[in-house]
Formats: sequence, C-alpha cells, structure tokens
Amino acid sequence: MARGLVLLLSLLFVSCGAEPTTLNVIAGSEVRDLEPIFQDMKRDIGVELKVTYSGTLDGVERIRGGEDFDAAWFSHAKYLKLVASQRVLQEERIMLSPVVLGVKRSTVDRLGWRGKSVTWGDIADAAASGKLRYAMTNPSASNSGFTALMGVNAALGADSARLKGFFRGQVLTAGSSGWLSDAFVRDQATLDGMINYESVLLSLGRDKKLKEPLELLYPKEGIVTADYPLTLLSAAKREVYQKVVDYLKSDKVQTRIMNETLRRPATTDVALSSAFPKALLVELAFPQTAAEVSTILGRYLSDQRRAAHSVFVLDVSGSMDGERIASLKKALRGLAGEDSSLTGTYSKFQKREQVTTITFSERVSQPETLLVTGEAERKQFRDTVDALELGNGTAIYDGLEAAYAYLAKTVPAEPDRTHSVVLMTDGENNAGDDFSAFEAKYNALPAAAKNVKLFPILFGEGNTDEMNKLAALTGGRVFDGRKSLEAAFKEIRGYQ
Amino acid sequence: MNRLIAPVLSLILILGVGYLIFTSVGQQLGGPVKLRGAIGSEKAEFFKDPELQSILRGKGFEVEAVTVGSRSMATTFDLTGFDFAFPAGSPAAEKLRRDKKVSTSFDVFFSPMVIATWKSVSAILKANGVSSDKGKYDELNVAAFLELVKAQKRWSDLKGNAEYDVSKPVLISTTDVRSSNSAAMFLALMSYVLNGNNVVQDATQATKITPAVAPLFRQQGYQEASSAGPFEDYLLIGIGKSPMVFIYESQFLERVVKKSLRPEMRLMYPSPTVFTKHILVPLTPNGTKLGELLTNDPAIQKIAAKYGFRPNNPDIFNTTVTQYGLPIKTNLVNVIDPPNFETLENMIRSLETK
Repeated sequence: MARGLVLLLSLLFVSCGAEPTTLNVIAGSEVRDLEPIFQDMKRDIGVELKVTYSGTLDGVERIRGGEDFDAAWFSHAKYLKLVASQRVLQEERIMLSPVVLGVKRSTVDRLGWRGKSVTWGDIADAAASGKLRYAMTNPSASNSGFTALMGVNAALGADSARLKGFFRGQVLTAGSSGWLSDAFVRDQATLDGMINYESVLLSLGRDKKLKEPLELLYPKEGIVTADYPLTLLSAAKREVYQKVVDYLKSDKVQTRIMNETLRRPATTDVALSSAFPKALLVELAFPQTAAEVSTILGRYLSDQRRAAHSVFVLDVSGSMDGERIASLKKALRGLAGEDSSLTGTYSKFQKREQVTTITFSERVSQPETLLVTGEAERKQFRDTVDALELGNGTAIYDGLEAAYAYLAKTVPAEPDRTHSVVLMTDGENNAGDDFSAFEAKYNALPAAAKNVKLFPILFGEGNTDEMNKLAALTGGRVFDGRKSLEAAFKEIRGYQ
Repeated sequence: MNRLIAPVLSLILILGVGYLIFTSVGQQLGGPVKLRGAIGSEKAEFFKDPELQSILRGKGFEVEAVTVGSRSMATTFDLTGFDFAFPAGSPAAEKLRRDKKVSTSFDVFFSPMVIATWKSVSAILKANGVSSDKGKYDELNVAAFLELVKAQKRWSDLKGNAEYDVSKPVLISTTDVRSSNSAAMFLALMSYVLNGNNVVQDATQATKITPAVAPLFRQQGYQEASSAGPFEDYLLIGIGKSPMVFIYESQFLERVVKKSLRPEMRLMYPSPTVFTKHILVPLTPNGTKLGELLTNDPAIQKIAAKYGFRPNNPDIFNTTVTQYGLPIKTNLVNVIDPPNFETLENMIRSLETK
C-alpha cells in the first residue's frame, strides 16, 4: 500500500512537471576544485551534480560504451566528439585554461630565454640535450598531457627525432594533472619545469608552494587551450542541464571560477584579472580525425617517450589462491596485450619497455627482466604469468628490498629510462624484514635508486596504513585494487 | 491504516484532477502553449530575448529553443517531439522540407556571410594586396586570398606582419562543414571562385576543384560543429586563435548593438559574398503559427534586426542600422548562389575522403 502511494505521488509529480534535480556527470579529476561551487549551486538553484571522476580515455570509453551519464565534463570534448559524436547532444564551454610550460626562473636565465620569444623547437633542443628536465602527465591517461602532446605535434610536425628529443626531458610523469603538480612540489629541487594547465601553474605560485617561482612560457608556435565544455549526453535532462549551464556561466560564478581556480572566464562579460599573464594565446590546430589522434598517441608511447623500466613485485603467498591469483593473472595478461579495449590498447607493455618481475611468498624470486620489442615478449610475459605458482608466507619487504637492490644496479646504467615499482600484495607481512627495516635500507640507497617511486595496490587484507607509508616514503601513490585489480593496474600504467 | 490512507488518496486525486482541469482551462484561456524547436546556434540569443519572449507569450506561445548544427538538423538529428526546425541556409531547409513533406516554410530573415577579423590582421592583408579598406569595413578579394593559401603562406611569411608574426598558415576559420551551414556557405563561396566564378553544377567540376578546396578545411585541424564555436573563440581567446573567422553578419552586428566588441575587432565582407536565408520549417500546426508570426510581426522583425539579422522589410533594418551605427555594407551586389543540395552534399563527401 505504502509503495502504491509513493508510486501515485511520483506519477502526480511527473504530471505536474516537477523537474529531476540531479545531474549525473562523468568528469575529469581536474574539475574537483569546483566542488565548493557545486555546493552553492545546490543551494542556489536546487540542482545537485553527482560527479563520477574518471581519466580521459577511460571516460571516453565509458561514454562510448553507453554508460548512463547525463553529462560529461572533461577539459575538452574534442576527442569524445571524434569517437562518439552521436552521444554529444549539446555543449557549452565553462572556463578556459591553456596548457603551457612553467620553467624555474634560474633555468630561464641559464638557457638564455629571458626576453626571448621561446619556441617549442627551443624547448625540444633544451630537453634533447638534457638541459631541461620537466614534468608532464601521460597523454593516454590525463588531458593536460594529451593536450600538450597534440600541441607539440602540431608545432613540430611529424618530425619524430625532434619529438623524441622533446620527450627526453619528460623525467616525471603521472596519470593525473593534480597529482603531477603535488609530485612536482615534492621533487622541485631536481626538476626545471612542468607542462600543465595555466591554472595549475598559477596556483602553485599563489599558494607559495615553490622555493623558486615558475615563469610561464607560451611558446611562439602556439598552445592548445582546454575549454572545459559541459556536454549533454541525455536528452531527458536538457532542462536541468540548461539550468546548470546558465548558473555556471552567470557573471557572478564566472568571476568566482576565475578568482578561485585561476581559469579564464568563458564569457566576454567578465574582464580578465591581473593574475593572468598578458600573453598572446596562439592556438595550435587539433587533429581532425580519431585516426590521427591514435597515430600520435601510438608513436608517443612506442617511439618517442622515455622508455619505461617497470618493476612488478607480486605476492604469490598461499592466501592468493583461487579467485585472487586468477584476477591477478587476468590483470597482468591484460597489460601483456590481451585487453583490446581503448584503455587496454594504450596501457599495454610498449615497444622498448623493460618489464621486471619479482615474486615473493616467504622467499623472494630472482628478478626476471624482459625487453619488449613486440608481441613476442608480451606472449612470453603471459606465459610467465600463467606459470606463477603459490608458496607459503608473505615477505613483502624482502621483496621490495630485492627490487630496490636491483634498481640500485640498473638505474645508473639506464639514464634515459623512467623507472617505477608496483607492489601487489593481499595480506600482512609475516616473514623477513618489517617496514622499519625496509625504511632504513631504503634510506641508505644511492639517490638514483631512491628516486624510483613505489606504487602499492590495495588488495585483499593488505595493510592500508603500511601501503600509505610506502607511497609517502618513495613519493609514489596508493591505488585501490579491491574493486577491480585490472582497473588499478591500468591506472598505474599512467604513472610508469 | 487504510482509514488513514484513503482520505489522503482522495485528496491527492482531487488535487491531481484539479491540476489537469486548471491547466487545460488555462490553455483555452490563452495560457502559453509550449513549443519546442531546433535552431541554429546563431539564433540562440535572439530566442532568449526577453522582449521577444513577452510578445510570444502575449500570442500564447512559449518557445523552448534547442541549438543544433543546421546541417545536422537536416541529416542526423532526431526531430521527434519538435514543433519546428529553424536552420540556417536554404540547402538544409530544402532537405528538411522534402524529408518531412512540408509544403509551406517561412523565410524569416537573412544574413550575408562575413569575416570577423582584427585591425592588425586587416593591415597585413591590405599590405599584401588581398583586401581593401572601405571605411567602416574591409573587403576581401577572395581570389587573391586563395592565391595565398595555394602558395601555403603563413602569417609569418607576409609583408608588414610585425604585429602578427605567427607561424600559423593563412586560413579562415570555419565550423565543421559536415554539420554546420556556415561552413557549407564557405565551401559554396570558395568553390564558386575556384570554378572560375561559376556555381559548381556537377561532379566533374566539383572533382576538379577538390584538391584546392580540401586544404582550406584540412589545415584548420579540428573544427567545431556549430557556428557559435569559432566565433566564441574569436571573442574569448582572440587573435591568437582566430585571426579570421567566417560567420554570419548577424553575429558581428549583434555584438555591435550590445557594444561588446573590442576596438581592435574589424568586419570584413568577402567579395563575392553569399547570403544565408534563415528558414523556419514547421513540423506541427503550432509550428506553422509561429512561422507566420515571426515572419509578419513588425515588432518581432525589429527585434531580429537588433540581433543583426536582415528582415525582409529593408526599412526595419535601416532604422536599426542608423540607430546603432552598424558598420555594414549596404550595396551587396556581387552575391553568388549556393550550389543545390545534392552538389553541395557531394562536394562535402568528397572532402571527407581527402
């Protein structure tokens, strides 16, 4: 009876034209800084944004796959429209931020760039000769890196050697623009600059997080501007969508977005504040087809980026038996080329990459390293994964010590590779060294090995507290594999 | 339990039925009828005008306008539940009329196609003999401009470019020709000049000029689907993104009326030029009523003129031009016709494969 009443009431509301008051949005993590504005919007116009945060290609893949979102909100919708144009019903740009290069004051002087109008070509030359070491996100995982990659390709043309030189300078990478910025702050002593949104670079200065300020360069050939279009995907939500757009584009909210997030307003009615450099924003062309985009991304990953050396430290203790080891094997086989989804294609082991596997139970295996040249090694890796056998005990820290001891030897011999360690364990350490013993040994490592970041995955009964401590110790990041181990491994690929 | 719920239910029923009666009586008494229409984005501001909305309400209409690329409207967009389609351009309207079997449509107003540019860019073009100063506006020699494009000139290659020494190719930004009318009009214009000042009539002529037309679009890279996109880039991001943008005259004039243009912005008429008719295609009887109203009501036509559209009655437009000092070209003589829908369609398809 009560259910009938609810039904009748809701029917009545629908017939009275009462509007749904939520908008389900899939968004890039970049817009997280607007959450205070979302709160006020709920109060002011009674519309609540339910936001699901997601990476670039991952988001596009979910929308294309027909997942039920009312709207999408990434830093640009160009790629979405290239691959899933039929899902885009309407779009309205909400704010602007060009992707530019911030360079330390002393580096600008050292490179003789002061007062000069610097080109992407100059930047490529400095990076190729090792004089410019910068941070930039992974283009297949994050929009700022994606946008920068498209821009640099437009500026330097299809000159692969030049692009390779440019990316030799990309010594810090990440799967998210926000995390990259935090990592830059942590590692600022060893870096010269960062490619990121103008808003992120300006915020670092405003929040006084840097020992040495970054000067923003708007290279002469041009840049690509992120325009954050709120994109309608569900025809039924058109009215709510319009209300949200009108609210966000009101002069009051545009002014607030400008002042709080340091993004440029998307209306000519709000004047640009003095926080923004008076730069000529020459806009570079963005690729016209999805095929061009995937060629550019593919070349970056397989030929142009710094080759990765990825170390996987894997738990093969008895508790992994059954479904757990099965899902680990599936995730690893996915990285080894078996995942044919869009994100799977870009997160698989790439040509030139070195993949090292160390397994541990109570005993630790010898590191096994493969140099990927193509499908043959991916197949070999899948076979190794299939042959994994379980033991007893869980010697997590012995496993990590083996990984870092290995890196202490290999990193100095491979100055042009990007190194990282992934730790996957499902339980408490119960054999060998403990956390503090590992910490002491890690601190005693030579700098080259110490700089290698560790990315622990939360899984099973893994010790969350210790995983967080490991990430903090090494400058890495914890990933949650409890919902999907496969998704966690793929996300980590953005950081390798 | 039931004793409590029954009276509540009856009350709800009474309220519900009462509401239905109230609304239907309200409509008979002249309460607004809700109309939903698909419009080209260049008319979005016009439909948002409070004065227009109040006139429409006075006539019993409330219009919800959904912006859609004009060519998408005629091809891929689902018009179920819409009372009218109001695309830009006769080719799109022609196709809609045919597909929806609509006999009467309404030529509500029209706009010549123009180029929004900048004083510094205008000076470079003049120095290179491609455009001429006509006082309040410039005139672009399309044939001479096409020579620059053919020679793959960049702004940094041109004479007198100190103020815009940018290594981007000399190009006019347009929307995506597959979805938007303004880009299709650009194609109509460029193909006319490349075809020796003749409207392209058939596939043979089209094939011959495709190699010269293709780079005009391809070099732009990614293009937005509707005409508001590139013009918004012009307004917001400025000269660095958009030295020259192909738009409707109305888009520029609307901003002159609102005094929201920067002093360095400049209007340029291509020579020859091409007109875009804004044609309302009704899909329901209410849509027909709205079409009649928009076309014939002088007060509405006057509002349209304030948004830069040229109404069919030139007196209305001239009054607005004088009132706001609009920098327009009055004697538009060198006006070409767009190719018919099929020819245009074929040209667009051949560009896609290039």
